[in-house]
Order: sequence, then C-alpha cells, then structure tokens
Amino acid sequence: MSEPFEPKIIAFFCNWCTYGGADLAGVSRLQYPPNIRAIRIPCSGRLDPKFILSAFRRGADGVWVSGCHPGDCHYIAGNYYARRKFALFKGLLEHMGIEPGRLHFSWVSSAEATKFQQVVTEVTGIVKALGPAPHYIKKLAEVA
Amino acid sequence: MIARTIAKSVFSEWLSLLRKSFRLIGPVRQGDQINFAPLAEGEGPDLSFQNTRLSPKEWVQPASERLFQFSLDPANTEAHILKEVPWDETPRLLLGVRPCDARALNLVRINFETPEYTDPWWKHGRDTMTLIGLGCNQPCSTCFCTSVGSGPFDPVGLDILLTDLGSAFLAQAATEKGAALLQGVPQGTEPSASDQSQAETLKKEAEQALPPQVAVDRLKDQPLLPLFNAPFWDEVQFACINCGTCTYLCPTCWCFDIQDEVSGTEGLRMRNWDSCMYPLFTLHGSGHNPRDQKLQRVRQRFMHKLKYYVDKYGNGVACVGCGRCVQFCPVNIDIRRVCNLMNAFQAN
Amino acid sequence: MLTYTNKIQELAKRLLTEGKVDLVIGYRQGTIPMMNEPVQVKSADQTDQLYWDSFCGVNLANYLPRRTERIAIVAKGCDSRNIVVHLQEGQVKREQLVILGAPCQGMLDRRKVWGRLDGLEPLKALEDGQQLIVEGKGFKQSFDRSEFLQDNCAICTHRNPALYDELLGDLVPEQGGVDRYTDVRAIEKLDPEARWQYFEELLAPCIRCYACRNACPLCYCPTCFVDESRPQWVGKGLDQSDIRTFHFLRAFHCAGRCTDCGACERACPVGIKVRQFTKKLEKDVWDRYQFEAGIVLEGRPPLDAFRPDDQEEFIK
Repeated sequence: MSEPFEPKIIAFFCNWCTYGGADLAGVSRLQYPPNIRAIRIPCSGRLDPKFILSAFRRGADGVWVSGCHPGDCHYIAGNYYARRKFALFKGLLEHMGIEPGRLHFSWVSSAEATKFQQVVTEVTGIVKALGPAPHYIKKLAEVA
Repeated sequence: MIARTIAKSVFSEWLSLLRKSFRLIGPVRQGDQINFAPLAEGEGPDLSFQNTRLSPKEWVQPASERLFQFSLDPANTEAHILKEVPWDETPRLLLGVRPCDARALNLVRINFETPEYTDPWWKHGRDTMTLIGLGCNQPCSTCFCTSVGSGPFDPVGLDILLTDLGSAFLAQAATEKGAALLQGVPQGTEPSASDQSQAETLKKEAEQALPPQVAVDRLKDQPLLPLFNAPFWDEVQFACINCGTCTYLCPTCWCFDIQDEVSGTEGLRMRNWDSCMYPLFTLHGSGHNPRDQKLQRVRQRFMHKLKYYVDKYGNGVACVGCGRCVQFCPVNIDIRRVCNLMNAFQAN
Repeated sequence: MLTYTNKIQELAKRLLTEGKVDLVIGYRQGTIPMMNEPVQVKSADQTDQLYWDSFCGVNLANYLPRRTERIAIVAKGCDSRNIVVHLQEGQVKREQLVILGAPCQGMLDRRKVWGRLDGLEPLKALEDGQQLIVEGKGFKQSFDRSEFLQDNCAICTHRNPALYDELLGDLVPEQGGVDRYTDVRAIEKLDPEARWQYFEELLAPCIRCYACRNACPLCYCPTCFVDESRPQWVGKGLDQSDIRTFHFLRAFHCAGRCTDCGACERACPVGIKVRQFTKKLEKDVWDRYQFEAGIVLEGRPPLDAFRPDDQEEFIK
C-alpha cells in the first residue's frame, strides 16, 4: 500500500512574533501537522524573495511566510515593506505557473498560539491537496 | 578531389542514406530565425538562410556541458571519485554550415589541441563531426570573409562543399573523409562541364559582392604596447554595455567557465560558455580584478581577436568575417571599424 | 520622423563651448541600416556626428550610473523616466545633468522590418514623414512606420519626457485609450499548467548571455545576483529551471522601477519577449499602489515605501 503524500513545507517565521507564537503552541501542547520546517528570520522584512524561490528549487511543495501584524513590527515598519514585496512576488510567481495554493502568507503574533495552529493546519491541508510540486525543482543541471 | 552533382529532387534520398551512418544536424526554422538543430526523421534542412543566428560551435562545444559526475553519499563505495560523464559516440553530420563557420572551427582547434595539451571534450566533439558546407551565393552586406583570408566558397574546415546550382547541388570533396562519403553515392552523377563552370561563376560573383572592407595587413607589425595604449579605445568602448552578445554569437570565441553544482548527495562538474565581457570573468580569488573597467574589457576582446592571436599563432586574425557581431551588437559596435582603426594606427 | 538632429547638435555645441557640461551623450549614425550607436562627445568640434532618427531605441540612461562628470544627455520619454529613477536611487545627481528631452513618436523595430521583407536584405532605410522607405538589391518599398513600432512603443503613454532641461521639439500628443495589459490578461486567463508551458516556450531559446540585463538601465548592481557564489542562487548553465529563475528574479528586481523602455527585448540576440515578466509587475504595481515609475521626482519607489492601509487580501 502506497504512503499518502506528505508535503514538505518550508516556513519562514519572524523571530519576534510568529516564531514566538509557534513556540507557545508547542508549549501549550496544541496538536498540528508536522509537515513544516521552520526557519527563523529576524523580521518578515528580511525575507528576500530568493529564499522562496530557493525553497521551491530544492523541492519544497509549499512555502509559508509569517510575521507580525502591521503596526506591531519589532523593527517598526519591516512588515509594511514586506507586505508589498509579498504581494508582488506572489503575483509574479502565480503568473508564471506555480499553483496559487503553494505560497502562503500570514500575520501571527507571539500570543496567537491557536491562530498558529489554525493556519498551519490550513496551509498543510491546501498543499497536501495539490500534491507534490510538479515543476521548478532543480536537481542536477539537465544539459548536454 | 572528387565531385558529384546531386539533383535537388533526390537530395532527401541522399539524406536518408546519410542518416544510416550519422545523426543529422542542419538549419531549422525556429520562429523568426534559423538555427542548427537535429533533423527529425524525414525532416530536411531549411537552406533559405544567409546565416544562422547562433553559430554551429555549440555542436562541438555545447553551451552547457557535463564533464564529470560524482557522489557524496557515504554509502556509495565510489563516493568522492570524479567519474567522466559518458560520451555520446554517435557520429554526427553538420549539414549546411557556411564556410566562415567551418573555418572558425579550424581556428579554434589551435587552442584546444596544442602539442602540450588536448581538450578531450572539444576534440571528441570535433572528431565525431563531419561537415557538409553550403557556399554563399548571396553573401550578406555585413559579411567580410574575403577580408580575413576566407571566402564565400572557401572549403577549409569542410569535408564537402555544396554549391547551389538551382536545380542541383555540386558537391566537392575537400578532405579524404568527404571523398569517401561522395564515393559511390547512388544519387550523385559525374558533374558536367557546365555544372563546374556555373559553380565557378557563382563563386566569382559572390567574391565580387564582397570587396575588401577590412584591412588586416599591418596588424602583425603593429608594436604591441602602443596599440594597447592607443587613444581610440576610449571612443570605441563608450557604447559597449558588456552584454556578451558578441561573444556568444561569435564562432571563434571559445572561453568557458568550469563549475561544480551539487544537489543533495549528487554532484556535477560542468562547463558553461563564459564571456570576457563580464567583470566576473577576471575576478581573482583575492578580490583583485585586472579588468574591472569597461575599457579594459572592450579593448581585450579586439586585441585578442585581432592582435594577440595573430602574434601567437601566425595564423591570421581570429575572426572569420561572419558578421554576426556586427548585426546583433545592440549598440552597433562594429568590428570592421575597430579593425581598421587598429590596422591604421600609427605609433608615434 | 522627428528631425531633432540639428537641434541636438546645436545644443551640444553650445553647452560644450560654454563649458556647462563635460560631455554629451547622444547617438551617432550606425554602420549598418536601422541601427545607431550611442556616442560620447567631449568637444564642440565633434558635435556634428550627433544624430537622431526612429532607430534610436537604446536607452541612454544606461550610461549614467556612478558617473561623476557634468553630462548633457538625449532622453526620450522612457529614458527620462529612467533618469528620474536613477536620481531617486542616488546613482547620479540632478546638478550633474542637462537633460535634452526628446518628445518621441515611437521607435521602430528593425526585426519587424526584416520580418516584413521575408528574406530580402535591407541595405538602406530612410524616413520620410510617416513613411519608411526600405531599399535593397533589386527592391525599394515604402511602408507606413506604424507597422514597425517596437512592442513597447505601440502601447506607450509617456512619449514626452517626464523631466528635462531643454526640449528638442514640440511636445507630442500622448496616445489615449491604450490598454497596456492585454498580453498580461491573456496569460492570467490560463490555468497554472498552461501558464507554466507558456513561459517554458518563451524562455526556450535563452542562452544566458545577459544582454537583457546589461541593456537595462536599472541593472547596475556591482555584483549581480547571478554572480554570487555564497550562496549560489542560480546555476550558470542552460538548465531550464536556472533560466527561469534568472528571468524571474531579474524582473522582480525591476518591480516598481521598470519604465517599459524595451531595451531588454531590443538587445536580446535570440528575440525573447522578456517584457512578459515585467509587464505583470507593472500592472500589479499600478493596480495596488497607483504608481508608475519615473513620473515624479519626489517620493520613493513603491518597494521602498508603504501605506498603513496597503492591500493585504492575500494574507491570512
């Protein structure tokens, strides 16, 4: 019997908010799917779009980026800049053929453990339903 | 050397015969341009072109070529050993190559097969390639092969030279390999005297359509350092945007970059075309870059092609006059103009 | 055809003689039909090589970043917008520049002329008003220039320079009722797999020569992301995934900055329509942030700014 597909989701969490929220969810023993691999960045504004592309190139089935709510950024305005970057990046990525359900963004604060649980469950469900990412994986160069 | 007339009505029969021994690569229409690509079964070459956009050098030296592969998996007993990527030994036939591009492969061979060193990949690519060329009845206005020691019907570098006579091709062998191919070709007939004279006329007319535009006679004797420091380089380099188009389209540019790419526990050592137009090309590990200014890079390309190669090999300039860089440089830097400037330069 | 040649020469001569600028950046007539070469003129006695016609498609703003001289520069509508972007990004100072604004009726694409001639080689192309007269061996044909407008010029809505010190001619009427995004919308209608295939075919001829990047006035990074090795973001070879990553990221680096000058498409030796990436970003920047690059000098580019109420419908 074949194993059900378990997606690999790379998750970029800002250190001050979402990472704290994830931590609180763990300490509170909230159950959630184990498919995410968390990467901690100081602020959602640190997220370079190249990180998202690198994740897909290395075989991620989904990518999730989460940071502080607007107005709550530890560095005052990092997430405001990030918001614009995310919008344009998602637009271009989907324009070129990556399915809309593979890239997700959220604002989760360090107190929102239950929201964290909800979002991770939702994201995992959506990516799982899409199946393995068919495109954009770079293994070894396919050339002459 | 033997010659045969092959009527166009039986040309595809001849191709089918050749297909038994070779993989055929010929000019194929791709959008608004014609490039060399493998000919599918039953597909003939599209010979309605002056020249292909990309030169055929990619069929001898691919733009991205895998050299070695290796494993880093500790469970693999052959881990950490560079293993050669197996070569494709299928003989290939490049059909419809222009004399300038064929000659370019000869010029480049001097670099890849020296008395001390041989580049085995290049050599393999070249040795498994047979060249059937097509002479240029209608050279482009940007061609200048006659100025650099070649011509529209120059057989150097070709195994067979085809001349388009209208309803037939005159196929002339230029090497033993070509002669062997033409020997006993059922579709070929002994060329008539009028075939021969028509070919001669076409050749003369094509050569006359290419009066010398570029002077190269004084390049060898130009003293090197004064030419290097000549004041005209400042004017020549301004427009250049170091885009690399010239180097990538040029049939005699050969520079490459070798790099390892690793994915998980598997790795690949590959070689890609590289260009002296990029600053990264000469960046040292220490951070020093001897050609970090655009003027130095622009000057380097012309000096290499038109002076260093001349001095080093005594084989004329490393340019075959195909005219691709003239046509496609986005800012119209014209090698013909620069060569004339270099040739005419008077060192004080 | 707009005859600015004399005006350019006259202004250049005056500015150089009066010592107002150290050099003039303009065009000189090319050595092959339908091409012109960017030129730097440093002395008043060399100004008669300056030239203008409808094949001056090169974006001269490409030559400005990090120059320190006082420069007079010929700038069409799109070029002048790139100069504004350079000023906003600190690549050159306003005091250095004397912008010779060229109200433009669109540049012509020589590849379209070649296509129309279907194999005949043009040896000469001259303009006469709205006509382009092309001559070669045994033929001479006259065409309406509108057949050959560069793709970006056909939909241009900023023909007049956004910033200038001198004008080379009268302002031209801007095109009205232009839909700049028909091609973007056509792709938006496709499902993800069809979109993926569309871009696979678009990028198949790419040989990673970087002509698009080098022709772009916005690409002035001392070390381009493709040349970074620690970490290496994208491979250097012709693997399809690498090719796509390069074009994607290059376009994204131009988000909110691209003026659709068409230099990238014009430079590509294999004729790839690379504007298909930047057009989508341009549309999104307009829809979301009501911003067009290089129109006003004040303010910051959209990715260097924010509004507290920016749209966030896609964020959970």
